[in-house]
Amino acid sequence: MSDPTAASGPGASNPNAGRARYKRKLSNYLLDKKLQLRYILVVTLLSGLIAGALGYMIYDQRHQSTQSIEQDLQDLVSDDEIKSITGDYETEDRVLVYKMVAAGVGLVVILSLYLILMTHKVAGPLYKTSIYFDRMAQGRLSVVTPLRRGDMLQDFFEKFKDMHDVVRQRAIDDVDAMEKALAALRESRNQGDYRGETHNSFNEELDKLEQHLQQRKKQLV
Amino acid sequence: MANDRGYKRSWKNLLINKRYQLRFTLFMVGLSTLLMGGLGIWIMVVANETTKVSITSERGKRCPKIPTIQAPYEEQPAPPPTPMKLEEPAAGSAAPTAPDAKTEDGRRKPKIDVTLDEMELPKPVTIVPPVPGGADIYTLSDKGKELNKKSFGFLVVDHWRCELDIAAKVKRLEHGRMRILFTLIGAGILLVVGLAIYGIKMTHKVAGPLFKVQLYLAKMRDGRFDKVYNLRKGDQLVEFYDHFKQAHAGVVALEKGDIERLKKTLLAAEAAGAGEHPSVVELRAMLARKEKSVE
Repeated sequence: MSDPTAASGPGASNPNAGRARYKRKLSNYLLDKKLQLRYILVVTLLSGLIAGALGYMIYDQRHQSTQSIEQDLQDLVSDDEIKSITGDYETEDRVLVYKMVAAGVGLVVILSLYLILMTHKVAGPLYKTSIYFDRMAQGRLSVVTPLRRGDMLQDFFEKFKDMHDVVRQRAIDDVDAMEKALAALRESRNQGDYRGETHNSFNEELDKLEQHLQQRKKQLV
Repeated sequence: MANDRGYKRSWKNLLINKRYQLRFTLFMVGLSTLLMGGLGIWIMVVANETTKVSITSERGKRCPKIPTIQAPYEEQPAPPPTPMKLEEPAAGSAAPTAPDAKTEDGRRKPKIDVTLDEMELPKPVTIVPPVPGGADIYTLSDKGKELNKKSFGFLVVDHWRCELDIAAKVKRLEHGRMRILFTLIGAGILLVVGLAIYGIKMTHKVAGPLFKVQLYLAKMRDGRFDKVYNLRKGDQLVEFYDHFKQAHAGVVALEKGDIERLKKTLLAAEAAGAGEHPSVVELRAMLARKEKSVE
Protein backbone atom coordinates (compact mmCIF):
# COMPACT_ATOMS: atom_id res chain seq x y z
CA MET A 1 0.00 0.00 0.00
CA SER A 2 1.31 3.35 -0.95
CA ASP A 3 1.62 6.29 1.37
CA PRO A 4 -0.56 9.21 0.36
CA THR A 5 1.68 11.67 2.12
CA ALA A 6 4.59 10.41 0.09
CA ALA A 7 2.52 11.07 -3.00
CA SER A 8 2.16 14.69 -2.04
CA GLY A 9 5.91 15.12 -2.19
CA PRO A 10 8.41 16.74 0.11
CA GLY A 11 6.64 20.03 0.03
CA ALA A 12 3.58 18.62 1.71
CA SER A 13 4.93 18.80 5.21
CA ASN A 14 6.56 22.19 4.65
CA PRO A 15 5.02 24.06 1.77
CA ASN A 16 7.95 26.42 1.42
CA ALA A 17 10.68 23.79 1.51
CA GLY A 18 12.50 23.13 -1.73
CA ARG A 19 10.78 25.96 -3.57
CA ALA A 20 12.41 29.00 -5.04
CA ARG A 21 11.60 32.15 -3.10
CA TYR A 22 10.53 34.64 -5.70
CA LYS A 23 11.91 38.11 -5.22
CA ARG A 24 10.57 41.28 -6.74
CA LYS A 25 12.42 42.25 -9.90
CA LEU A 26 12.33 45.54 -11.78
CA SER A 27 11.77 43.68 -15.03
CA ASN A 28 8.48 42.15 -13.96
CA TYR A 29 6.87 45.05 -12.17
CA LEU A 30 4.31 45.49 -14.92
CA LEU A 31 2.70 42.06 -14.63
CA ASP A 32 -0.77 43.09 -15.72
CA LYS A 33 -0.11 46.02 -18.02
CA LYS A 34 -3.75 46.77 -18.76
CA LEU A 35 -4.82 46.86 -15.14
CA GLN A 36 -1.76 48.66 -13.83
CA LEU A 37 -1.33 51.21 -16.61
CA ARG A 38 -4.98 52.13 -16.53
CA TYR A 39 -4.89 53.06 -12.86
CA ILE A 40 -1.51 54.77 -13.21
CA LEU A 41 -2.72 56.80 -16.18
CA VAL A 42 -5.86 57.92 -14.40
CA VAL A 43 -4.04 59.03 -11.26
CA THR A 44 -1.10 60.69 -13.01
CA LEU A 45 -3.27 62.47 -15.55
CA LEU A 46 -5.55 63.71 -12.81
CA SER A 47 -2.65 64.89 -10.69
CA GLY A 48 -1.07 66.54 -13.71
CA LEU A 49 -4.34 68.25 -14.50
CA ILE A 50 -4.80 69.56 -10.96
CA ALA A 51 -1.17 70.67 -10.70
CA GLY A 52 -1.33 72.25 -14.17
CA ALA A 53 -4.58 74.14 -13.61
CA LEU A 54 -3.63 75.39 -10.16
CA GLY A 55 -0.10 76.15 -11.32
CA TYR A 56 -1.50 78.26 -14.12
CA MET A 57 -3.67 80.11 -11.61
CA ILE A 58 -0.62 80.83 -9.46
CA TYR A 59 1.32 82.09 -12.47
CA ASP A 60 -1.63 84.19 -13.59
CA GLN A 61 -1.96 85.83 -10.18
CA ARG A 62 1.73 86.61 -10.01
CA HIS A 63 1.73 87.93 -13.54
CA GLN A 64 -1.21 90.20 -12.70
CA SER A 65 0.72 91.49 -9.71
CA THR A 66 3.76 92.22 -11.90
CA GLN A 67 1.62 94.03 -14.44
CA SER A 68 -0.02 96.09 -11.73
CA ILE A 69 3.35 97.18 -10.40
CA GLU A 70 4.49 97.96 -13.94
CA GLN A 71 1.46 100.18 -14.52
CA ASP A 72 2.09 102.05 -11.29
CA LEU A 73 5.68 102.64 -12.19
CA GLN A 74 4.77 104.05 -15.57
CA ASP A 75 3.56 107.23 -13.90
CA LEU A 76 6.67 107.59 -11.83
CA VAL A 77 9.73 106.53 -13.83
CA SER A 78 10.86 106.10 -17.42
CA ASP A 79 10.39 102.95 -19.49
CA ASP A 80 14.03 101.93 -19.16
CA GLU A 81 13.87 102.16 -15.41
CA ILE A 82 10.64 100.17 -15.42
CA LYS A 83 12.41 97.45 -17.38
CA SER A 84 15.29 97.43 -14.94
CA ILE A 85 12.88 97.07 -12.03
CA THR A 86 10.21 94.77 -13.44
CA GLY A 87 12.76 92.76 -15.41
CA ASP A 88 13.45 90.93 -12.17
CA TYR A 89 9.77 90.27 -11.63
CA GLU A 90 9.40 88.86 -15.12
CA THR A 91 12.43 86.65 -14.56
CA GLU A 92 10.91 85.54 -11.28
CA ASP A 93 7.65 84.73 -13.05
CA ARG A 94 9.52 82.69 -15.66
CA VAL A 95 11.54 80.90 -12.99
CA LEU A 96 8.26 80.12 -11.25
CA VAL A 97 6.93 78.54 -14.45
CA TYR A 98 10.08 76.44 -14.83
CA LYS A 99 9.90 75.41 -11.20
CA MET A 100 6.28 74.39 -11.53
CA VAL A 101 6.92 72.45 -14.74
CA ALA A 102 9.84 70.67 -13.07
CA ALA A 103 7.71 69.95 -10.00
CA GLY A 104 4.89 68.66 -12.25
CA VAL A 105 7.22 66.34 -14.18
CA GLY A 106 8.78 65.17 -10.91
CA LEU A 107 5.35 64.54 -9.45
CA VAL A 108 4.25 62.51 -12.46
CA VAL A 109 7.47 60.44 -12.50
CA ILE A 110 7.47 59.76 -8.75
CA LEU A 111 3.76 59.06 -8.76
CA SER A 112 4.06 56.67 -11.69
CA LEU A 113 6.88 54.75 -10.03
CA TYR A 114 5.00 54.58 -6.76
CA LEU A 115 1.83 53.45 -8.49
CA ILE A 116 3.69 50.77 -10.43
CA LEU A 117 4.94 49.47 -7.08
CA MET A 118 1.51 49.72 -5.54
CA THR A 119 -0.39 48.12 -8.39
CA HIS A 120 2.29 45.44 -8.61
CA LYS A 121 1.20 44.39 -5.14
CA VAL A 122 -2.23 43.66 -6.63
CA ALA A 123 -1.07 42.33 -9.98
CA GLY A 124 1.49 40.07 -8.28
CA PRO A 125 -1.01 37.95 -6.33
CA LEU A 126 -3.28 37.82 -9.39
CA TYR A 127 -0.36 36.64 -11.50
CA LYS A 128 0.60 34.02 -8.95
CA THR A 129 -2.99 32.81 -8.68
CA SER A 130 -3.17 32.65 -12.48
CA ILE A 131 -0.13 30.36 -12.51
CA TYR A 132 -1.88 28.04 -10.04
CA PHE A 133 -5.04 28.24 -12.15
CA ASP A 134 -3.03 27.16 -15.20
CA ARG A 135 -1.67 24.19 -13.24
CA MET A 136 -5.17 23.27 -12.12
CA ALA A 137 -6.32 23.52 -15.74
CA GLN A 138 -3.74 20.87 -16.55
CA GLY A 139 -5.10 18.74 -13.71
CA ARG A 140 -2.17 19.44 -11.42
CA LEU A 141 -2.89 20.20 -7.78
CA SER A 142 0.52 21.08 -6.40
CA VAL A 143 1.34 22.82 -3.12
CA VAL A 144 0.38 26.51 -2.90
CA THR A 145 3.00 28.76 -1.34
CA PRO A 146 1.93 31.91 0.49
CA LEU A 147 2.17 35.42 -0.94
CA ARG A 148 5.12 37.69 -0.34
CA ARG A 149 5.05 40.16 2.52
CA GLY A 150 3.40 43.43 1.55
CA ASP A 151 1.30 41.90 -1.20
CA MET A 152 -2.32 42.95 -1.38
CA LEU A 153 -5.37 40.70 -1.89
CA GLN A 154 -4.20 38.51 0.99
CA ASP A 155 -7.81 37.66 1.85
CA PHE A 156 -8.56 36.54 -1.67
CA PHE A 157 -5.41 34.46 -1.89
CA GLU A 158 -6.12 32.87 1.49
CA LYS A 159 -9.52 31.76 0.20
CA PHE A 160 -7.94 30.41 -2.97
CA LYS A 161 -5.27 28.57 -0.98
CA ASP A 162 -7.90 27.20 1.36
CA MET A 163 -9.96 25.90 -1.58
CA HIS A 164 -6.88 24.51 -3.32
CA ASP A 165 -5.69 22.73 -0.18
CA VAL A 166 -9.14 21.23 0.49
CA VAL A 167 -9.58 20.06 -3.14
CA ARG A 168 -6.05 18.67 -3.13
CA GLN A 169 -6.53 16.91 0.22
CA ARG A 170 -9.82 15.49 -0.99
CA ALA A 171 -8.11 14.21 -4.12
CA ILE A 172 -5.32 12.69 -2.00
CA ASP A 173 -7.90 11.06 0.27
CA ASP A 174 -9.77 9.73 -2.77
CA VAL A 175 -6.58 8.31 -4.24
CA ASP A 176 -5.80 6.79 -0.86
CA ALA A 177 -9.28 5.29 -0.59
CA MET A 178 -9.15 3.97 -4.17
CA GLU A 179 -5.72 2.48 -3.55
CA LYS A 180 -7.01 0.73 -0.45
CA ALA A 181 -10.04 -0.53 -2.36
CA LEU A 182 -7.81 -1.67 -5.22
CA ALA A 183 -5.57 -3.59 -2.84
CA ALA A 184 -8.59 -5.13 -1.10
CA LEU A 185 -10.19 -6.16 -4.38
CA ARG A 186 -6.95 -7.67 -5.68
CA GLU A 187 -6.62 -9.62 -2.44
CA SER A 188 -10.22 -10.82 -2.47
CA ARG A 189 -9.89 -11.82 -6.14
CA ASN A 190 -7.04 -14.09 -5.16
CA GLN A 191 -8.97 -15.54 -2.26
CA GLY A 192 -12.54 -15.32 -3.56
CA ASP A 193 -14.54 -17.33 -5.98
CA TYR A 194 -14.79 -15.06 -8.97
CA ARG A 195 -16.47 -16.33 -12.10
CA GLY A 196 -13.91 -17.19 -14.71
CA GLU A 197 -15.41 -15.40 -17.72
CA THR A 198 -15.21 -11.96 -16.24
CA HIS A 199 -12.02 -12.64 -14.38
CA ASN A 200 -9.79 -11.20 -17.06
CA SER A 201 -11.83 -8.07 -17.73
CA PHE A 202 -12.05 -7.28 -13.97
CA ASN A 203 -8.33 -7.83 -13.74
CA GLU A 204 -7.79 -5.44 -16.64
CA GLU A 205 -10.02 -2.80 -15.05
CA LEU A 206 -8.12 -3.06 -11.78
CA ASP A 207 -4.86 -2.60 -13.71
CA LYS A 208 -6.33 0.45 -15.42
CA LEU A 209 -7.47 1.83 -12.06
CA GLU A 210 -3.96 1.36 -10.74
CA GLN A 211 -2.53 3.28 -13.72
CA HIS A 212 -5.12 5.97 -13.18
CA LEU A 213 -4.11 6.28 -9.55
CA GLN A 214 -0.42 6.44 -10.46
CA GLN A 215 -1.18 9.32 -12.80
CA ARG A 216 -3.26 11.08 -10.15
CA LYS A 217 -0.44 10.79 -7.64
CA LYS A 218 1.92 12.44 -10.10
CA GLN A 219 -0.58 15.28 -10.56
CA LEU A 220 -0.81 15.81 -6.83
CA VAL A 221 2.90 16.37 -6.35
CA MET B 1 -25.66 35.43 -23.59
CA ALA B 2 -26.06 31.84 -22.43
CA ASN B 3 -23.28 32.02 -19.85
CA ASP B 4 -24.33 35.38 -18.48
CA ARG B 5 -26.91 35.42 -15.73
CA GLY B 6 -27.33 39.16 -16.17
CA TYR B 7 -26.46 40.52 -12.73
CA LYS B 8 -26.65 44.29 -12.78
CA ARG B 9 -24.44 46.63 -10.84
CA SER B 10 -26.18 48.33 -7.96
CA TRP B 11 -25.04 51.06 -5.59
CA LYS B 12 -25.68 48.84 -2.59
CA ASN B 13 -22.89 46.44 -3.38
CA LEU B 14 -20.30 48.78 -4.81
CA LEU B 15 -17.97 48.19 -1.89
CA ILE B 16 -17.36 44.48 -2.22
CA ASN B 17 -13.76 44.35 -1.15
CA LYS B 18 -13.56 47.26 1.27
CA ARG B 19 -9.89 46.90 2.10
CA TYR B 20 -8.68 46.86 -1.50
CA GLN B 21 -11.20 49.35 -2.85
CA LEU B 22 -10.88 51.88 -0.06
CA ARG B 23 -7.10 51.68 -0.09
CA PHE B 24 -6.87 52.56 -3.76
CA THR B 25 -9.66 55.12 -3.64
CA LEU B 26 -8.33 56.79 -0.52
CA PHE B 27 -4.88 56.99 -2.03
CA MET B 28 -6.27 58.72 -5.09
CA VAL B 29 -8.50 61.03 -3.06
CA GLY B 30 -5.79 61.75 -0.49
CA LEU B 31 -3.23 62.61 -3.12
CA SER B 32 -5.62 64.91 -4.94
CA THR B 33 -6.65 66.59 -1.69
CA LEU B 34 -3.02 67.08 -0.80
CA LEU B 35 -2.27 68.58 -4.20
CA MET B 36 -5.38 70.75 -4.13
CA GLY B 37 -4.70 71.84 -0.56
CA GLY B 38 -1.01 72.60 -1.06
CA LEU B 39 -1.37 74.38 -4.36
CA GLY B 40 -4.60 76.02 -3.18
CA ILE B 41 -2.82 77.57 -0.21
CA TRP B 42 -0.04 78.71 -2.53
CA ILE B 43 -2.61 80.23 -4.86
CA MET B 44 -4.28 82.05 -1.98
CA VAL B 45 -0.95 83.42 -0.74
CA VAL B 46 -0.14 84.74 -4.23
CA ALA B 47 -3.71 85.93 -4.73
CA ASN B 48 -3.58 87.82 -1.42
CA GLU B 49 -0.31 89.45 -2.47
CA THR B 50 -1.69 90.33 -5.87
CA THR B 51 -4.87 91.73 -4.37
CA LYS B 52 -2.87 93.75 -1.87
CA VAL B 53 -0.61 95.14 -4.59
CA SER B 54 -3.56 95.92 -6.83
CA ILE B 55 -5.54 97.56 -4.02
CA THR B 56 -2.52 99.65 -3.03
CA SER B 57 -2.06 100.56 -6.66
CA GLU B 58 -5.69 101.59 -6.99
CA ARG B 59 -5.70 103.59 -3.78
CA GLY B 60 -2.52 105.33 -4.86
CA LYS B 61 -4.18 106.72 -7.96
CA ARG B 62 -4.75 110.47 -7.92
CA CYS B 63 -8.23 111.70 -8.61
CA PRO B 64 -8.80 115.20 -9.99
CA LYS B 65 -9.28 117.54 -7.07
CA ILE B 66 -12.43 119.49 -6.39
CA PRO B 67 -11.58 123.17 -6.47
CA THR B 68 -12.10 124.78 -3.09
CA ILE B 69 -15.02 127.07 -2.80
CA GLN B 70 -14.23 130.08 -0.76
CA ALA B 71 -14.61 133.75 -0.86
CA PRO B 72 -11.67 135.67 -2.23
CA TYR B 73 -9.40 137.05 0.42
CA GLU B 74 -8.04 140.51 0.73
CA GLU B 75 -4.62 141.28 2.13
CA GLN B 76 -4.61 142.91 5.55
CA PRO B 77 -1.90 145.14 6.85
CA ALA B 78 0.78 143.44 8.89
CA PRO B 79 0.03 143.33 12.63
CA PRO B 80 2.20 145.46 14.92
CA PRO B 81 5.43 143.79 16.04
CA THR B 82 5.12 141.63 19.08
CA PRO B 83 6.64 143.23 22.17
CA MET B 84 9.74 141.50 23.52
CA LYS B 85 8.29 141.35 26.98
CA LEU B 86 5.68 138.72 27.07
CA GLU B 87 2.72 139.33 29.23
CA GLU B 88 2.11 136.82 31.95
CA PRO B 89 -0.96 134.81 31.08
CA ALA B 90 -3.72 135.17 33.54
CA ALA B 91 -4.16 132.17 35.78
CA GLY B 92 -6.73 129.75 34.41
CA SER B 93 -6.88 131.38 31.02
CA ALA B 94 -6.05 129.51 27.84
CA ALA B 95 -2.75 129.99 26.08
CA PRO B 96 -2.84 132.59 23.33
CA THR B 97 -3.29 131.06 19.91
CA ALA B 98 -1.23 131.93 16.89
CA PRO B 99 -3.00 134.25 14.53
CA ASP B 100 -4.93 132.21 11.99
CA ALA B 101 -4.48 133.29 8.42
CA LYS B 102 -8.05 132.64 7.81
CA THR B 103 -9.40 134.30 10.86
CA GLU B 104 -10.24 137.90 11.25
CA ASP B 105 -7.17 138.36 13.43
CA GLY B 106 -4.84 137.23 10.64
CA ARG B 107 -3.47 139.02 7.68
CA ARG B 108 -6.05 137.60 5.29
CA LYS B 109 -9.67 138.36 5.53
CA PRO B 110 -12.52 137.15 3.38
CA LYS B 111 -13.30 139.76 0.85
CA ILE B 112 -16.98 139.64 1.37
CA ASP B 113 -19.28 142.23 2.57
CA VAL B 114 -22.82 141.33 3.19
CA THR B 115 -25.13 144.08 4.16
CA LEU B 116 -28.57 143.12 5.11
CA ASP B 117 -31.43 145.48 5.39
CA GLU B 118 -33.02 145.64 8.70
CA MET B 119 -36.25 144.69 7.17
CA GLU B 120 -37.32 141.12 7.64
CA LEU B 121 -36.74 138.90 4.66
CA PRO B 122 -39.63 136.69 3.61
CA LYS B 123 -37.24 133.90 2.56
CA PRO B 124 -33.80 132.88 3.83
CA VAL B 125 -30.95 134.31 1.80
CA THR B 126 -28.45 131.90 0.34
CA ILE B 127 -25.08 133.32 -0.45
CA VAL B 128 -23.36 131.46 -3.22
CA PRO B 129 -19.69 132.23 -3.41
CA PRO B 130 -18.16 132.46 -6.84
CA VAL B 131 -16.89 129.07 -8.05
CA PRO B 132 -13.85 128.50 -10.28
CA GLY B 133 -14.62 127.64 -13.88
CA GLY B 134 -18.21 128.70 -13.52
CA ALA B 135 -21.14 126.85 -12.04
CA ASP B 136 -22.75 125.67 -15.25
CA ILE B 137 -21.71 122.24 -16.59
CA TYR B 138 -22.91 123.12 -20.04
CA THR B 139 -22.07 126.19 -22.05
CA LEU B 140 -23.78 127.56 -25.07
CA SER B 141 -21.62 128.18 -28.10
CA ASP B 142 -22.02 128.38 -31.85
CA LYS B 143 -21.98 124.61 -32.02
CA GLY B 144 -24.76 124.37 -29.49
CA LYS B 145 -24.71 122.96 -25.97
CA GLU B 146 -21.21 121.87 -24.95
CA LEU B 147 -19.82 120.20 -21.88
CA ASN B 148 -17.74 122.59 -19.84
CA LYS B 149 -14.95 120.43 -18.53
CA LYS B 150 -13.57 123.21 -16.44
CA SER B 151 -16.84 123.90 -14.71
CA PHE B 152 -17.10 123.30 -11.02
CA GLY B 153 -19.94 120.79 -11.45
CA PHE B 154 -18.02 118.74 -13.96
CA LEU B 155 -14.93 118.70 -11.74
CA VAL B 156 -16.98 117.58 -8.74
CA VAL B 157 -18.61 114.80 -10.74
CA ASP B 158 -15.28 113.82 -12.22
CA HIS B 159 -13.67 113.66 -8.78
CA TRP B 160 -16.35 111.52 -7.23
CA ARG B 161 -16.61 109.33 -10.26
CA CYS B 162 -12.90 108.62 -9.90
CA GLU B 163 -13.21 108.03 -6.13
CA LEU B 164 -16.16 105.69 -6.58
CA ASP B 165 -14.37 103.96 -9.40
CA ILE B 166 -11.41 103.27 -7.13
CA ALA B 167 -13.72 102.06 -4.34
CA ALA B 168 -15.50 99.78 -6.81
CA LYS B 169 -12.21 98.42 -8.11
CA VAL B 170 -11.02 97.72 -4.57
CA LYS B 171 -14.27 95.95 -3.85
CA ARG B 172 -13.99 94.01 -7.10
CA LEU B 173 -10.46 92.96 -6.21
CA GLU B 174 -11.62 91.76 -2.79
CA HIS B 175 -14.49 89.89 -4.45
CA GLY B 176 -12.06 88.40 -6.95
CA ARG B 177 -9.91 87.11 -4.11
CA MET B 178 -12.92 85.58 -2.39
CA ARG B 179 -14.10 84.12 -5.69
CA ILE B 180 -10.75 82.37 -6.11
CA LEU B 181 -11.06 80.99 -2.57
CA PHE B 182 -14.62 79.74 -3.07
CA THR B 183 -13.73 78.33 -6.50
CA LEU B 184 -10.85 76.42 -4.97
CA ILE B 185 -12.99 75.09 -2.11
CA GLY B 186 -15.82 74.16 -4.50
CA ALA B 187 -13.46 72.51 -6.99
CA GLY B 188 -11.75 70.67 -4.14
CA ILE B 189 -15.01 69.30 -2.75
CA LEU B 190 -16.21 68.32 -6.22
CA LEU B 191 -12.92 66.66 -6.98
CA VAL B 192 -12.89 64.69 -3.73
CA VAL B 193 -16.49 63.51 -4.10
CA GLY B 194 -16.08 62.78 -7.82
CA LEU B 195 -12.85 60.91 -7.28
CA ALA B 196 -14.28 58.90 -4.41
CA ILE B 197 -17.21 57.79 -6.58
CA TYR B 198 -15.00 57.15 -9.58
CA GLY B 199 -12.42 55.28 -7.49
CA ILE B 200 -15.01 53.03 -5.92
CA LYS B 201 -16.65 52.34 -9.28
CA MET B 202 -13.29 51.69 -10.94
CA THR B 203 -12.06 49.35 -8.21
CA HIS B 204 -15.46 47.68 -8.15
CA LYS B 205 -14.76 46.47 -11.69
CA VAL B 206 -11.75 44.66 -10.28
CA ALA B 207 -13.28 43.66 -6.96
CA GLY B 208 -16.42 42.33 -8.67
CA PRO B 209 -14.70 39.53 -10.61
CA LEU B 210 -12.60 38.71 -7.53
CA PHE B 211 -15.76 38.46 -5.46
CA LYS B 212 -17.35 36.21 -8.07
CA VAL B 213 -14.27 33.99 -8.14
CA GLN B 214 -14.37 33.83 -4.33
CA LEU B 215 -17.95 32.54 -4.47
CA TYR B 216 -16.90 29.77 -6.86
CA LEU B 217 -13.86 29.04 -4.71
CA ALA B 218 -16.15 28.52 -1.70
CA LYS B 219 -18.30 26.14 -3.76
CA MET B 220 -15.28 24.22 -4.98
CA ARG B 221 -14.06 23.99 -1.41
CA ASP B 222 -17.37 22.38 -0.47
CA GLY B 223 -17.05 19.94 -3.36
CA ARG B 224 -19.54 21.60 -5.69
CA PHE B 225 -18.27 22.29 -9.19
CA ASP B 226 -21.19 24.27 -10.60
CA LYS B 227 -21.27 25.85 -13.98
CA VAL B 228 -19.13 28.98 -14.19
CA TYR B 229 -20.90 32.00 -15.62
CA ASN B 230 -19.34 34.89 -17.53
CA LEU B 231 -18.41 38.24 -16.09
CA ARG B 232 -20.58 41.30 -16.51
CA LYS B 233 -19.95 43.75 -19.31
CA GLY B 234 -17.28 46.28 -18.36
CA ASP B 235 -15.69 44.11 -15.69
CA GLN B 236 -11.92 44.03 -15.46
CA LEU B 237 -9.69 40.97 -14.93
CA VAL B 238 -11.22 39.19 -17.91
CA GLU B 239 -8.01 37.26 -18.59
CA PHE B 240 -7.68 36.32 -14.94
CA TYR B 241 -11.25 35.09 -14.96
CA ASP B 242 -10.51 33.01 -18.07
CA HIS B 243 -7.64 31.39 -16.20
CA PHE B 244 -10.04 30.60 -13.36
CA LYS B 245 -12.58 29.11 -15.74
CA GLN B 246 -9.90 26.87 -17.21
CA ALA B 247 -8.79 25.85 -13.72
CA HIS B 248 -12.37 25.05 -12.82
CA ALA B 249 -12.70 23.02 -16.01
CA GLY B 250 -9.45 21.23 -15.13
CA VAL B 251 -10.73 20.17 -11.71
CA VAL B 252 -14.05 19.10 -13.23
CA ALA B 253 -12.10 17.05 -15.78
CA LEU B 254 -10.22 15.36 -12.90
CA GLU B 255 -13.50 14.49 -11.24
CA LYS B 256 -15.00 13.25 -14.49
CA GLY B 257 -11.90 11.15 -15.13
CA ASP B 258 -12.31 9.57 -11.70
CA ILE B 259 -16.03 9.03 -12.33
CA GLU B 260 -15.38 7.31 -15.64
CA ARG B 261 -12.70 5.06 -14.17
CA LEU B 262 -14.80 4.23 -11.11
CA LYS B 263 -17.82 3.40 -13.24
CA LYS B 264 -15.83 0.98 -15.36
CA THR B 265 -14.19 -0.62 -12.33
CA LEU B 266 -17.55 -0.99 -10.55
CA LEU B 267 -19.17 -2.50 -13.64
CA ALA B 268 -16.34 -5.00 -13.95
CA ALA B 269 -16.53 -5.78 -10.21
CA GLU B 270 -20.30 -6.30 -10.36
CA ALA B 271 -19.87 -8.49 -13.42
CA ALA B 272 -17.25 -10.49 -11.57
CA GLY B 273 -19.67 -10.97 -8.65
CA ALA B 274 -17.87 -8.66 -6.27
CA GLY B 275 -20.71 -6.10 -6.21
CA GLU B 276 -21.29 -6.46 -2.48
CA HIS B 277 -17.64 -6.31 -1.52
CA PRO B 278 -17.13 -3.58 1.14
CA SER B 279 -14.49 -1.88 -1.04
CA VAL B 280 -16.89 -1.83 -3.97
CA VAL B 281 -19.58 -0.33 -1.76
CA GLU B 282 -17.11 2.30 -0.68
CA LEU B 283 -16.16 3.03 -4.28
CA ARG B 284 -19.83 3.28 -5.18
CA ALA B 285 -20.35 5.91 -2.47
CA MET B 286 -17.34 7.81 -3.77
CA LEU B 287 -18.76 7.65 -7.29
CA ALA B 288 -22.11 8.98 -6.11
CA ARG B 289 -20.39 11.88 -4.32
CA LYS B 290 -18.28 12.72 -7.34
CA GLU B 291 -21.24 12.54 -9.70
CA LYS B 292 -23.19 14.88 -7.46
CA SER B 293 -20.31 17.35 -7.32
CA VAL B 294 -20.26 17.86 -11.10
CA GLU B 295 -24.02 18.01 -11.63
